[in-house]
Amino acid sequence: MRKLLGKSMAVGAIALLALTACGSGRDGGSSGSDSGGSKGFAANSLIGVALPAKTSENWVLAGDLFTNGLKEAGFQPNVQYAGASTTVADQQAQITSMVTKGAKVIVIGATDAAQLSTQVAAAHQAGVKVIAYDRLILNTPDVDYYVAFDNFKVGQLQGQALLDGMKAKKPNGPYNIELFSGSPDDNNSKVFFDGAMSVLKPEIDKGNVVVASGQKDIKQTAIQGWKAEGAQARMDQLLTSTYGNKELDGVLSPNDTLARAILTSVKGAGKPIPVVSGQDSEVESVKSIVAGEQYMTINKDTRTLVKQTIDMVKALQAGNAPQVNDTTTYNNGAKVVDTFLLPPVAVTKANAAEAYANDPKLAPLTK
Amino acid sequence: MSRLKDLQKNLFGGTTSNARQFGMIFTLVAIVVLFQILTDGLTLRSDNLIALFQQNSYILILAIGMLMVIVAGHIDLSVGSIAAFTGIMVAKAMAEWNLPWPVGILFGLAIGALIGAWQGFWVAYIGVPAFIVTLAGMLLFRGGNQFIGNANTVPVPEGFRVIGSGFLPETGPDTGYNNLTLLLGLAAVIAIVWRELKGRRTRKEMNAEPIPMWISILRMVVMVGVIVFVTLRFASGRVGTSFPVSGIILAALVLAYSFYTRNTAGGRHIYAVGGNPRAAELSGVKLKRVNFYVMMNMSVLAALAGMIFVARSAASGPQDGNGWELDAIAAVFIGGAAVTGGIGTISGSIVGGLVMALLNNGLQLMGVGTDRVQIIKGLVLLLAVGLDVYNKRQGRFSIIGSITRSFHRDTPAVPTPSSGAEREPAKTTVAG
Repeated sequence: MRKLLGKSMAVGAIALLALTACGSGRDGGSSGSDSGGSKGFAANSLIGVALPAKTSENWVLAGDLFTNGLKEAGFQPNVQYAGASTTVADQQAQITSMVTKGAKVIVIGATDAAQLSTQVAAAHQAGVKVIAYDRLILNTPDVDYYVAFDNFKVGQLQGQALLDGMKAKKPNGPYNIELFSGSPDDNNSKVFFDGAMSVLKPEIDKGNVVVASGQKDIKQTAIQGWKAEGAQARMDQLLTSTYGNKELDGVLSPNDTLARAILTSVKGAGKPIPVVSGQDSEVESVKSIVAGEQYMTINKDTRTLVKQTIDMVKALQAGNAPQVNDTTTYNNGAKVVDTFLLPPVAVTKANAAEAYANDPKLAPLTK
Repeated sequence: MSRLKDLQKNLFGGTTSNARQFGMIFTLVAIVVLFQILTDGLTLRSDNLIALFQQNSYILILAIGMLMVIVAGHIDLSVGSIAAFTGIMVAKAMAEWNLPWPVGILFGLAIGALIGAWQGFWVAYIGVPAFIVTLAGMLLFRGGNQFIGNANTVPVPEGFRVIGSGFLPETGPDTGYNNLTLLLGLAAVIAIVWRELKGRRTRKEMNAEPIPMWISILRMVVMVGVIVFVTLRFASGRVGTSFPVSGIILAALVLAYSFYTRNTAGGRHIYAVGGNPRAAELSGVKLKRVNFYVMMNMSVLAALAGMIFVARSAASGPQDGNGWELDAIAAVFIGGAAVTGGIGTISGSIVGGLVMALLNNGLQLMGVGTDRVQIIKGLVLLLAVGLDVYNKRQGRFSIIGSITRSFHRDTPAVPTPSSGAEREPAKTTVAG
């Protein structure tokens, strides 16, 4: 047996040595992380864009805009969506593939903001710049820039619109409202909610506005995965448990998909339609606003956001520092990320025509 | 016998059923070559190969356990939920009780064992079909994940991340390669050569017809060549990267479980139970115990896979584990296991998993969207299994057909079926 082992070791060692000798060795500094970095890169470089699953119109639109916008600017775009079920693992693999393919900048709309640090670190080591799009990537020093709408402001606008809308319907309180918030794994959910509560809390404390179910904590109001069926089910339960003989005046909804689900539930229960907030300017919701059902939405024009992101990529390509307007607020747990914030716009039936005048898809709906 | 027939018969093992195994490996090679061309050589680049193993090690680990479950005639739908549940428990335990990370891993494995014992109990001793038990488990532990974690994403400490995103360290003299990876490759080459030489000697001792020398050498050259190529690829990645730790865990598990299912009485009992439970029981196999341990083992491996994924993601999240059961089941069936149980091999499942992984990776490198990737993967699964069924009906080679035949020929009391699909031609007891 020992003789056999000796023989095999000899053969193995020779084979491996022979091939090692004629191998090429490490790639060396080919993917060197020359951290000066501000030299720019070729104008026709590959730019990776990793987006979440195609669960909302917005992401699909963003993907198309990135593909066309980057192409126009002379880059090679590589836009990828995560799969419907295995979202996080898909996105991790996609980001790694983009690094392998030699992308110079990777724009990431994260599916789970805290589960990408390994991939982002690998990208950084390969000298790739990382821009967090719409959702800040957490717990990693390897995010270069963050570009988004001012989401705290979004929440404030939603809260304010809710108060205005209820006052217009019924001059005097107290008003009964219910609160909804977005997916707990989305970093933005809390920001929207806190923004809205910064407006609503003083009124709740005064007793002018009452959360009749008592469910005021974000853990009680959250809708996992931003799923419509989740919001509808929760609203169904609230209506049965709390609004048997009470009137529901308003619902804080973080986005349009959930707002429509809430309206569906209310209509199904045969109750009068309350004032419902929204966000994203989805087609169905704009129709609903014009028809007088959903009260408001937020116009965060995806075109402006994508354009701003592409401008950042262009600046990086030329070797300049991209424009930012907030270098203090967005701490991701590992560092404060340089951020460019865009202002959101509140849209109700009153200003819909004006707000969507430049939008080829939405403008006809407001006429 | 013509040389071609010699080759066909001996290159990848002994019997006709190896044609299926050969077919799988051939498919794998074809996919590699195809994507290597389509992606301009990105597929076989070091960084991509390293990423490929890191991204898929947890699915392949699940496939090992799933193979044994399916061979025993069951199915496990709960693996993704168990992985997610274990992930959040371990992440929370480390964050809130300040458990050191090695203890965290043990804690996770213990949770897996506990869950496995729970599910095994229902399957083996109460007799509820595994499909139902694990469907219940899928709901139970997904809910548990959200209950414990409040659907939050909980980060894990740096040390823990090694099992998911760590690499072999750089030590020793500067050879231009990662030295430990080279040593690992050397060990693999030695093992291959040793096994070949031992196989020849065993055949001689047993007075079996010896394999022609040139085939032995050809086989060794091919396998050694592949291993050396892969070793050099892994060893020559960016400084700081090498063969991933998760890959080492996977390799160790594959070796251990292959040996167990092929060469030990306990392992053969699983095949016996899946092939014909009554006959197995009458031959003295402890049916309940086999079922219990198969289900329990699956949950432990699911717990491990969950922890590796959490380590790689640096955090445990509410979406962990979604759809993993389907990936693992697909790998096992593409790898030649039978839906009815009793048939399948660990190595086949790993090859099946790699086929899926390479498809995924190659299509992603080409920039194909996930929608189309899913369509393609679905078709591949259907075609791979469909081909086997078709071949069986045509009376050509089929892993299922050839193995059931050998089942009847052997004495049924000592079930040694289906090892035809293994590379080892001589089914002797372990030497020494």
